Amino acid sequence: MMLSTSRRRLLRAGALGGLALPFAGLASTVSAQGSTLTIAYNVDLPAFDPTVGASAVNPTIQSLYKSVFDQYIDQNPDLSFKPGLLTGWGWNEDRTEIFLEVREGALWHTGEPVTPDDVVWSLERAGDPDTGNPIQFVWSKVGNYRIDGNRITADVLAFEPTLFKWMAFLTGYVLPRRYFEEVGPDGFEAAPVGSGPYRVDAFERNAFLRLKAVPDYWGGAPAYETVIFKFVTDAVSRVAEIESGASDVTLEIPYDAFDRLKDRPGLAGVTTPVSDIAMIFLNDNDEIMQDRNVRLAAHHAINKQAIVDRLLRGYGVPIDTLQAPEYAAFDPTIRVPYDPDRAAALLAESGYGRDNPARFTIQTTRGFKPRDFEMIQAIVGMWRAVGIEAEIEVYEIAQHFELRARDALAPAAFYNWGNSIGDPSTSTGFAMFGPSPHSTWDTDDLDAMIGPLWGEPDEAARIAGYRAVDRYIAEQGYVIPLLQYVQPIVHRDDVVVTPHTANFLLPQLMRPA
Amino acid sequence: MAELGIDRLPGRQGVWVALCGNARVWGGGGVVGLFALIALFAPVLAPQDPLWQDLMLYQMPPAWLPGSEPGYWLGTDSLGRDLLSRLIHGTQVALIVAVVAAGAAGALGVLLGLMAGYFGGWVDALISRLIDVWVAFPPVLLSIVLVAVLGAGLHSVIIAIAVIDWTRFARVVRAEVLVQKEQDYVASAVTIGLGRWRILFGEVLPNVAPLVLVLFTMEMAIAVIVETILSFVGLSVASDRPTWGGMIAEGRQVIYEAPWMMLMPIGCLIALVLALNALGDGLKTALDPVLRR
Amino acid sequence: MPIGFLVNRLVLAIPTLFGVSVVVFVLLRVVPGDPIAMMIPPGAGQEDIDRLRVLYGLDRSIPEQYGIWLGQALTGDFGTSISLRSDVLGLVLQRLPATLELAALALLIAGALATGLAVLGTASRGRWPEAVVDGVTGTVQAIPDFVWGLLFILALGVLMPVLPISGRFDPRIEIDFATGFYLIESLARFDLDTAAMLLRHAILPAVALALPLTAVLARLLKSSLSEAMTQDYVQVAKVRGFGPGRLIVREAMRNALIPTVALSSVQVTFLIGGTVLVERIFSYPGIGNMAIGAVINRDLPLIQGLVLTFAVLFIAINLVADLTYAALNPRVRRG
Repeated sequence: MMLSTSRRRLLRAGALGGLALPFAGLASTVSAQGSTLTIAYNVDLPAFDPTVGASAVNPTIQSLYKSVFDQYIDQNPDLSFKPGLLTGWGWNEDRTEIFLEVREGALWHTGEPVTPDDVVWSLERAGDPDTGNPIQFVWSKVGNYRIDGNRITADVLAFEPTLFKWMAFLTGYVLPRRYFEEVGPDGFEAAPVGSGPYRVDAFERNAFLRLKAVPDYWGGAPAYETVIFKFVTDAVSRVAEIESGASDVTLEIPYDAFDRLKDRPGLAGVTTPVSDIAMIFLNDNDEIMQDRNVRLAAHHAINKQAIVDRLLRGYGVPIDTLQAPEYAAFDPTIRVPYDPDRAAALLAESGYGRDNPARFTIQTTRGFKPRDFEMIQAIVGMWRAVGIEAEIEVYEIAQHFELRARDALAPAAFYNWGNSIGDPSTSTGFAMFGPSPHSTWDTDDLDAMIGPLWGEPDEAARIAGYRAVDRYIAEQGYVIPLLQYVQPIVHRDDVVVTPHTANFLLPQLMRPA
Repeated sequence: MAELGIDRLPGRQGVWVALCGNARVWGGGGVVGLFALIALFAPVLAPQDPLWQDLMLYQMPPAWLPGSEPGYWLGTDSLGRDLLSRLIHGTQVALIVAVVAAGAAGALGVLLGLMAGYFGGWVDALISRLIDVWVAFPPVLLSIVLVAVLGAGLHSVIIAIAVIDWTRFARVVRAEVLVQKEQDYVASAVTIGLGRWRILFGEVLPNVAPLVLVLFTMEMAIAVIVETILSFVGLSVASDRPTWGGMIAEGRQVIYEAPWMMLMPIGCLIALVLALNALGDGLKTALDPVLRR
Repeated sequence: MPIGFLVNRLVLAIPTLFGVSVVVFVLLRVVPGDPIAMMIPPGAGQEDIDRLRVLYGLDRSIPEQYGIWLGQALTGDFGTSISLRSDVLGLVLQRLPATLELAALALLIAGALATGLAVLGTASRGRWPEAVVDGVTGTVQAIPDFVWGLLFILALGVLMPVLPISGRFDPRIEIDFATGFYLIESLARFDLDTAAMLLRHAILPAVALALPLTAVLARLLKSSLSEAMTQDYVQVAKVRGFGPGRLIVREAMRNALIPTVALSSVQVTFLIGGTVLVERIFSYPGIGNMAIGAVINRDLPLIQGLVLTFAVLFIAINLVADLTYAALNPRVRRG
């Protein structure tokens, strides 16, 4: 009965649509020209300066920054490092100095050359606490820059093993000194200038960013003359964009829609596992989480493979540590298998069971990542089966950051952790080290293991150290890693799209078929 | 979200006589009553546990479409939960919010409206200014802000609706009290020395009660809609407890693959809101002596 | 228009705006937690957090913060958005034209449809078309705007994709607009292709917003028309042999408009308030969409600015309605 009412209503809505039909023919007049690429993008661009404020450390908008600006050091789609505006870099013998070699022939969008002075200014500005660079604590570990031709040397003020990885990561961008000082921060937001493959042509907040190719880009002219990032934050609308031909490429769409669209004539799809993982933070502030049996039971009770296969339609890679397979410290021998009997037995040891369940709250985002809320509902269902009764509480991602900074997260809290440089310090390190403002678990045993690794100069020992930490965390059940996300990208079949493991959707990696 | 242009309403006499002759009261009231029964007996009526999930039964279509699963009349959602059972239990949430939130908004609004209308002077001035300020707020945005501030949950939704919508009651009640105040029965109550509060609640309130009943019915419809909006934005009942708004939001994610998942809760929402509006309209007509003539 | 009436209304608006700003300010300051937390970078220490807190003035008491905010607001400085790192007034002014155009389009649609329905209903009194009009308006009124939006997306974006369901216009067409009023500007330039493209994007959210208002207006107008039709001057015209169409449109309409205008201003504010959700659903870049984003990001200065903007709009609409009412009905002006 309900559906038939709805059908009648649909018919009425259809009649209304008929009024608008005379306009429908116009769509063809704006069909994609050969040299224009329209990307339906999933997040808005809040601000242009890629080195200050919250947007600078937002992984989801780095694709936009990387189209306009160059990083010191760049990354290949497989996460390996390659020269950016720097062609050479490294430490001296005793790691008291660094050297940087600046690329010759790179130009700002104003036509001026990129100079070592720009690089030094950008690094010093990033290390200055007053400019508001969120990663200032890394950049300030180097200082006293000296320029000799196109070679820069600087003193190491405090050893940071991941310094050069950060040069390819968040806020690791070079900005034009002369132009920036001339126009100031507000002027720069209004008319940003970089040295990247595309320059900004037009920007309308919440609507679109239009870019034009830079023909004399040092890395070669990009394939598309015009690139439009259309901000379509709603997944259903992104599907409509690609179906109607209004956009040529889109990402982060529901997996059901991906499966349907990729087989459509004229469309194609690519998926790639990306440097973004789903995890559940556990909080030691709550008494129940101090019980190792409960923590491990909560982990063993989750059938990650079923979640991937059913809810995510096979798009996802179950993980048992905070390292995805592409990361430097990934260790496939660390396993926490799905074992509901074991989970029930562990709970029984602590006196819990289905009649007397262990109770706690789990927080989750809703609609922030594909199927996040459903995933947590599924997990709560799996927990219920072994004797854990969890209450779901929905929070916005901003609230998550806020609660995490105050160490006030619920006993369990769902989050997704991005780590495009794949270093263990930027996954296990920040997530699990007690004194870090981003950790929820802080116990002395773990801090004693992670602490010395921050300044470990021997890279092999550092990676091995983090593997040992991950193994210990898995044995103790201090965190519940769930899965590595797979990025679904749908595009017109006359566009060749190269996916990037760092979860970038870069127009410079696309070309006509 | 209709504003009411009610002028005058009769006293207690003859109310029931008037009600009996009104088709909209019976039709609307009947459907509302049906929903109330569904909500009341949800655990008995629902064929499944609305929280019970089976990941193997992913988005099964309703029984009349090919590929449906026996026993799941309206199909399943992406966790394999029974949609019919979730709709039935969602009715419970919708009606709890409707009654409690409309009651709270009504209690607050009627109290302030009575005081403003009867006491006049600075009390009236203060409350009237407060109403002016309140109606200058965008209601949808304010409810979203309020619930974001209070934290998601049923109680926040109820508080938000009461805090925002009390003015609907206060304005109309105030105007009505201004009229009632001039009536003979108030004058005689004053003469025999009854206290102000006693007159207000013992004499004036019963006479504005029919009006409040109409407003209350209308407010229930608004509360149902607001709860849906907040669930849709993801701010209402924050658990796996089923709500219509939450189901609409979930269905919207799979609108291409399973459009029925969004249409069914929308259908329920429309049916209940239409019924409440019809009931309110009918009550208004039945209780309004001018239109009745 | 008498100046005194106008001034009186404007003066009354000031304490209302003041009240709105106090309420929203206090409301947002009692949020449990810390609005700057989301800006805290990995690796930041307590001193970095304190520095940010001082930077945004969050280390002071609420009355102090309000005093500072009010002082700045009076000079046109509504603070800096935390998430968008831009000044609030500029951001709001950038996006406001989009919302105003959408609301104006919705009003036009509602006015036209409502007039049509009311005239049809009045002309066919007592016959089946009137019953249809009553049924349709009663049903349409009960269904909120965002539900219409969802149904339109399903019907015309998904099942029968004939219209775009997101955005305000197609950025592949490279036009530089001089103002934020794209539709009005392209119409003024007789750039009909662009105007049509803008309309294609705006039509679904506009109709979704318009429908509940249409129903209310149609019902109000119809009952006023029915009443006006019984008045003497209409009866006189009828005796003179004017047809029913002319009677309704030429004679009764003017008087019927007076109560309709008076009663509809609240409904129009509901329409504006409805843009919050409808813009979100259609990814339409107006202030409503921006407002939900601001709430999600806990961007206090921006939320404050946007709530105040809506309040100003609401007060302005009531003012316009009052003035229109006074203009249509001379008795009010004198009284």
